[in-house]
Amino acid sequence: MSDVALMMRQGSVAAGKLIGLMLLAALVFVWLGPIILVVITSIKSNDAFLAGPFALPTEPTFAPYVTVWNALGFGRLLANSFLYATAGSALAVILALVPSFALSRFDVPGKRLVFGVILTGLMLPQQTVLIPLYDTLRALNLLDTRTGLIIVHAAYGMPAQILILRGFMTTIPREIEKAAFLEGATDFQVFWKVILPLSVPGIMVGFTLNFIAIWKEFVFGLVLLNSEANFPVTVGMLKLNSDRYMAVFNLPAAGLVISQIPIVILFLLSYRKLASGNFAGAVKG
Amino acid sequence: MAEVTLERVEKRYGSVVVVPHLDLKIADGEFAVLVGPSGCGKTTTLQMMAGLEAISSGRLLIGGRDVTVLPPKERDIAMVFQSYALFPHMNVRDNINFGLRIRRTPAAEMQAMVSEVARRLQIDGYLDRLPKELSGGQRQRVALARALVRRPGVFLMDEPLSNLDAKLRVEARSFLSKMHHEIGTTTVYVTHDQSEAMTMGSRIVVMKGGVIQQAAPPLEIYRKPANRFVAGFIGSPSMNFLELEVADGALVDGAAGIRIPLPERRSAEVARSGGPTVVLGVRPEHLHLLADGEGGQYTTVFQVDVVQHLGNEMLLDIVAGPHRAIARADADARVREGERCTFGIDMDRVHFFHPRTEINLAIAG
Repeated sequence: MSDVALMMRQGSVAAGKLIGLMLLAALVFVWLGPIILVVITSIKSNDAFLAGPFALPTEPTFAPYVTVWNALGFGRLLANSFLYATAGSALAVILALVPSFALSRFDVPGKRLVFGVILTGLMLPQQTVLIPLYDTLRALNLLDTRTGLIIVHAAYGMPAQILILRGFMTTIPREIEKAAFLEGATDFQVFWKVILPLSVPGIMVGFTLNFIAIWKEFVFGLVLLNSEANFPVTVGMLKLNSDRYMAVFNLPAAGLVISQIPIVILFLLSYRKLASGNFAGAVKG
Repeated sequence: MAEVTLERVEKRYGSVVVVPHLDLKIADGEFAVLVGPSGCGKTTTLQMMAGLEAISSGRLLIGGRDVTVLPPKERDIAMVFQSYALFPHMNVRDNINFGLRIRRTPAAEMQAMVSEVARRLQIDGYLDRLPKELSGGQRQRVALARALVRRPGVFLMDEPLSNLDAKLRVEARSFLSKMHHEIGTTTVYVTHDQSEAMTMGSRIVVMKGGVIQQAAPPLEIYRKPANRFVAGFIGSPSMNFLELEVADGALVDGAAGIRIPLPERRSAEVARSGGPTVVLGVRPEHLHLLADGEGGQYTTVFQVDVVQHLGNEMLLDIVAGPHRAIARADADARVREGERCTFGIDMDRVHFFHPRTEINLAIAG
């Protein structure tokens, strides 16, 4: 290749990289921009925001956080959200474990059909099940109760858990299971002593994703709860939509930041465990 | 007693028959090796013995008991897998005593059994380690320990050495053979490696297409192969095969310049081919490179194509017309690639195979 051709080729590669970088920067700006704006707004006074919505704060303050915490009873809202997300996710995972094991390990007639039916739960919009759920909870005297909402979240999240756990369990080498059977284990013992411990990463993935989904969830909380004492943070923050806070921007921003902190902490705590493998040493040399 | 008997055992997947009627009897204490190329049905047969694959038809007896439909845990067997199949979340101790815990063995007895087997296999220093902290050889011994500790009636081993490097494999072979001599448990060992089969088994079962080609002690298989497949599969380098015409008391391929006199004592055997040609099978060690001036009654000329130096000997790729063969030669033999050399053939050690049915004519009626 001649020097000129080489230089032209190198130039086009550099240009391609530059365009790629610019596209990435644009994506990062689009994605991070609103988040940064919310955080900046949350540490400004409302007047400072109205004076310059995109300006950096000249006198940052945490007063909006204190105000919104006290005005909305954020402690109670966070506690409720934490309860719904933890209990709902845990219950969804627990309910999904045995079906996932069966779907991943056993060859039964109609397995594909059963799996398909379970997965249709993933495709159901919340709006399609609201009225039947409302009626069911009312008939069971579980309307406007924490227990009722936890059960709803668990049932609604179960299909996704089955999808995740089944997929994870199919990656567990079959020979490990065969070895357990040969050692005398029953199906349940194989599940309890071998498959379940090895599924912890999959369980953590499912739990974390479901936790985030329930934490962000709004429609079920809005429709199935009436008492403020039971509201999760997403429904509780609706108060900031009232006339009283019509022209106030820093308080909703502060509320948003507070509501997302637990999710960020959860992610930071769990991402390493999710990334680590669990099968090193089980098979091969 | 822990003899293993398969009576007309068949395995089908839908309409596909992978193992047609299999009849095999493995005596108590025998080390039987199932050997054959990939897809020959040896692993499927082993898995049927283990209860991991259902038997489509026929019977399996272990220790005189019909275990055809019994689950694995009721067959008094233990298995070592190719991939070891250790439980990655359990340490070595828990891996070894897993079966004992399932059977609710008292703790003191369990500890004694684990300690004894770990000491015997020289892994007593690793009992608290996880499998990922062990080398390949150590993991293999843990898998063996898990099988041994329950003192089963039958060991089943599915290519347990295939994931080890060559040096470790040789050591492990000796180890397993010694262990079998000490313990004497009936063992069924599956491998695709014919040298493993030859060195370890008291009886070799050569399989092809789900069918047993020959079941005999290693030397008998090597010296009296039942057919061309067995002859070519067992032995490394494998036996050479030359299809030659039988004419005027000699084996001939005029175009290739081959003319090998046929000993009178072998002519009746060759006549069983019933046709004009026969397949001559000759092992590399029975093709002798003759020095200049050295003669013999049964000789022919080949051109040396490739010389492979192995240190202790040489392997010569030789060719005559369309016929290719491999011969062994002394490490210090004077031979060059491209040279035409005379080779003597040990006609008392060669085999003759039917060109169509491929059976050994020495055995054929």
